[in-house]
Amino acid sequence: MSWDYIVTLFVPLIQGAGMTLAVFAVTFILSLPLGFCVTLQLNSRHSFTHWFAETYVYILRGTPLLLQILFVYFGLPLIPGIGPYLTFSRFTAACVAFVLNYAAYFGEIFRGGLLAIDPGQYEASKVLGLTRFETMTKVVIPQMIRVCLPSISNETITLLKDTALVTVIGVAEILHYAKTEVNRDGTPFPFVLAAILYLIINFVITFIFKKLEKKYEQ
Amino acid sequence: MKKKLFTAVLSVLLICTLLAGCSSGSASTDSSSSGNDENTLVIGVDDQFPPMGYRDDDGNIVGFDIDLAQAVADKLGMELKVQQIDWSAKELELDQGNIDAIWNGLTITDERKEAMDFTDPYLQNAQVIVVKKDSDIATKADLSGKTVGVQKSSSAKDALDADAIESELKEVVEYEENVSALQDLGIGRTDAVVVDKVVADWYIKDENADYKVLDETLAPELYGVAVKKGNTELLNKIQTAFDEIVADGTAAQISEKWFGSDIIYTGK
Repeated sequence: MSWDYIVTLFVPLIQGAGMTLAVFAVTFILSLPLGFCVTLQLNSRHSFTHWFAETYVYILRGTPLLLQILFVYFGLPLIPGIGPYLTFSRFTAACVAFVLNYAAYFGEIFRGGLLAIDPGQYEASKVLGLTRFETMTKVVIPQMIRVCLPSISNETITLLKDTALVTVIGVAEILHYAKTEVNRDGTPFPFVLAAILYLIINFVITFIFKKLEKKYEQ
Repeated sequence: MKKKLFTAVLSVLLICTLLAGCSSGSASTDSSSSGNDENTLVIGVDDQFPPMGYRDDDGNIVGFDIDLAQAVADKLGMELKVQQIDWSAKELELDQGNIDAIWNGLTITDERKEAMDFTDPYLQNAQVIVVKKDSDIATKADLSGKTVGVQKSSSAKDALDADAIESELKEVVEYEENVSALQDLGIGRTDAVVVDKVVADWYIKDENADYKVLDETLAPELYGVAVKKGNTELLNKIQTAFDEIVADGTAAQISEKWFGSDIIYTGK
């Protein structure tokens, strides 16, 4: 196997990596804040808001992401009335499904982080005369982030690998290109290259989260 | 420290955006959605179906069907857009107008005729049984008690289901693509593969594989181009242009390029 051949195989995979990273970046950036909104709703005293968030998490966590992607792309346009407004391009549909799905998971992770904070801290903040907003932003959230970071890092790595699912609606990412090469050349070697590419990206992600964890250490 | 970290995160995001930009630039056929645009012909293909449609070394979708579609689009003065699709979702893609036509070694079957409109057949094909050279399977009847691989949602699967031998098989294994099925035969997980003749011939030649094709075939069949049910206007346009490229010899040239001889089917 010549070096040239390996480079030839690698070029389309890099192209696919662009798509993988695009889905990854959009999902990561949008689902974190949305996930936090879900957490706030889950903790809401308003019973409808709470019920709504619980149902949301139940449905999005309880069905396969693959099914959700297919549903957003093929299913939503068929809804009578609003269907035409919910007809997305392939890439957008993939991102919508991923953001909604990951927001549910991140929401649960943040909820776990909030539970880890001792009720005494809220009382202490009150005694110190902090407003509710100040308590949240200066006391609670920084601690929540510290507790959540390892889980978020875990989920982020899963997210990167899950992006391989978007190929079902015709978005070509790393694994898809690898499969086309395997099918063309009749050798499973492109899978090895794809694995290396995923590992490189995950190395960067792991590195960044390690740094973040260090930063939030007390 | 804070600043450094921020810069790191920001630069990673920038790289992501850049890469995404590159990929959508060079492979714009992939992510764009539909082409309801009058002047674009969007065909849906399984880009893992050599030699009808597959990715070349540069990641471009090429193949026999792609060349034919290009010739037809040129005749019509339309721009051709090749959209890769998941083969098991092809009917949905066509129905919802994400693609204008399925043009990818699509076998004309009665069941499919109810779901979409077909042009006249342009290629004759058969579902053949591929086994290893040293296999003791020589006829269709020998498949009894064996494990057979096929591509899922393919006409090979339909042909197998329709055949009496199906009930005697030990197991039918369904694969995402034809080539995976053929590779697994080489590994030894299956005893035989039922696949389109054009694919079997191409694979054995291209990979120099130790396979043979049994003389006995499952079902003779014809390939056609499908458009959404009721889209007669586009169907007629494609048909007229196709007849023209057959008449002026373009189709024969394309056939020679991919198969070494003119195998375009013209008897209706």
